[in-house]
Amino acid sequence: MRLRLLAHFQALRVPEAILDGLADVRAHKLRTFLQTLGVILGVASLVAVQGLVDSGRRQATKFFDEFGGLTKILVVNRPSKETVVTAQQLASYGLTWSDAQAIRQEVPSATLVDPIASEELSIRYGDYERRNDVTGATPDYSAVYKFYPAKGRFLIQDDMASQARVCVLGDTAARRYFGNEDPVGRILTIGEVGFRVVGVMSRKEFYFGDGDHNALEWMNEQTFIPLTSLYARFTGDERKRVQYINVIVDKVENNPKAAAAIRSVVQRRHAGITDFEVINRAERLKQRAEQNQVFNTVFMVSGIVSLLVGGIVIMNIMLASFRERIREVGVRKAMGARGIDIAIQFLVESILVTVIGGTVGLGLGVVFAQIISNLVGQPAVITPQMAVIGVTASVTVGLFFGLYPAIKASRLNPVEALRYE
Amino acid sequence: MRISKEAVPGVPEAFIPEASGPIIRLDDVHKVYGSGEDEVRALQGISLTLDPGDYVAIMGPSGSGKSTLMHILGCLDVPTQGEYVLAGTPISQMSARALARERNKRVGFVFQSFNLLPRSNLARNVELPLLYAGVGRAERRERAIDALRKVGLAERAKALPSQLSGGQRQRVAIARALVNDPSIVLADEPTGNLDSKTGQEILELFGELHGQGHTVILVTHDPNVASRAGKIIRIVDGKVSNGTSA
Repeated sequence: MRLRLLAHFQALRVPEAILDGLADVRAHKLRTFLQTLGVILGVASLVAVQGLVDSGRRQATKFFDEFGGLTKILVVNRPSKETVVTAQQLASYGLTWSDAQAIRQEVPSATLVDPIASEELSIRYGDYERRNDVTGATPDYSAVYKFYPAKGRFLIQDDMASQARVCVLGDTAARRYFGNEDPVGRILTIGEVGFRVVGVMSRKEFYFGDGDHNALEWMNEQTFIPLTSLYARFTGDERKRVQYINVIVDKVENNPKAAAAIRSVVQRRHAGITDFEVINRAERLKQRAEQNQVFNTVFMVSGIVSLLVGGIVIMNIMLASFRERIREVGVRKAMGARGIDIAIQFLVESILVTVIGGTVGLGLGVVFAQIISNLVGQPAVITPQMAVIGVTASVTVGLFFGLYPAIKASRLNPVEALRYE
Repeated sequence: MRISKEAVPGVPEAFIPEASGPIIRLDDVHKVYGSGEDEVRALQGISLTLDPGDYVAIMGPSGSGKSTLMHILGCLDVPTQGEYVLAGTPISQMSARALARERNKRVGFVFQSFNLLPRSNLARNVELPLLYAGVGRAERRERAIDALRKVGLAERAKALPSQLSGGQRQRVAIARALVNDPSIVLADEPTGNLDSKTGQEILELFGELHGQGHTVILVTHDPNVASRAGKIIRIVDGKVSNGTSA
């Protein structure tokens, strides 16, 4: 099969046409440069956009990975927007600790379930005294956020059971309360109750590009106490309401199924009322990608437009230089060239020119992507996909816009072509 | 070897292999360009027969129709009316594609302005008819060098046409015309762009080709050139005028 293809290739004298085309390109360097300019810019912009888009997508995924990855599902309170409230709706009071327990028991793919509630409380140590958000968390929190202690330990099951007066601090919070002192073992007064510091978390940092804003600084500012202690000592909430529940699923593929299961479990427990929302992060990322698609399309279209313009320039110059080649076509026909031989020779030449342009454009596009990424502070990614895009686009342009001059040349009458001065 | 008509009974004359009959037979050939008021009758009933190995000059003033005749003989064009048989093959009704094949196989062209491809070296120029005949690269190269050797330019195979003198370029063109071993060599004013001394040398080369058994047709308006040929055909007003021998 391949041999036969090769034979066809040779029977159509493509290799010879390539040699002739190369000689022609060498003889007309300026003309070739002008011809390829549009293709160079078109391919360059396509490749540059592709590189930046890829890099953006990778960074978003990496950012999500930093606190739970794509297997995370978030259940949040979302009170009904209806103005007429039914008795049923009144009976529901939002997400609770026992909703989380139910999810843990009834959704098998949910490996970690972490309900969270928070309360603003006064915090005091030595000279420091200020009101701060205190987070009531469960031991799963650490694994959900991939957030681990640098010193001491995180909350454990015993703390939950005994409603212990222990707390764990984020790195920034620890500095704020204790300055240079080692907080572990010291007593922090939270809302007039003494809590022993059992651990300090390692720092969380994520910077988009070159920016100096730590997108995860809010985690370093956290003060954690057992969720049970929050209920027992501060809020006195018998219903054990929570603000949200984090769920980690074993596999990303199980996300949609788990989200549906969570929805039905919680809805059943809330007497059929949807006063909550299940947010599937994988879904979110997909939606975002779809939104990005609009921008990608705009860039894509601009790249394609410049490729089209490049193609028209190629055709224009081929037609302009057509006159000087009429004689040559006449001679070749006198020597026995058929119309198809002439057409192939012209086509090969236009493709050759665009492939040269495409290759240069590929290099230029990589440079563009690098420059832009330096400006916006986002690393550019160079993929083999780009080379494929560049070469395919340029060959297509060459083929399409070379077709008309090629057909025109192939139809020349040999007598008139030979007589042409 | 001549195959007589009797040896292949029942086969129409047109299909008898080339060695048998005349190499060229024109029978009442007409060529008309345009129509209505613009109609130009370039050829008005030309009949002639050439045998293999003939050395013929076609003469005539400009506008006489000799160029049109040359185009038809060279399979670049077909007659409007009448029969043309080249080496046993009827040409008159052929498609452009079939015509290209006949040109490639049967006709070697030599032009007044040489018509070499400027960006191809001599070997590649000479190879051209073999390329379109579908001959493989190695054989093509070998035969091109052989043909160049016959005109004394084998050593310059890699040179470009622009590096040669006019006479040398015409020799390359002759090598190109011969490389495919054609039935006829058709030369259109081959000395028209050369000084007289170089022109003489080129004409001597044609003489040698004739001596080797090639069928050579010179198209010229120059009586000195025509006098080299064994036979002169004068074209006047699209017809063969009387007194065809030199």
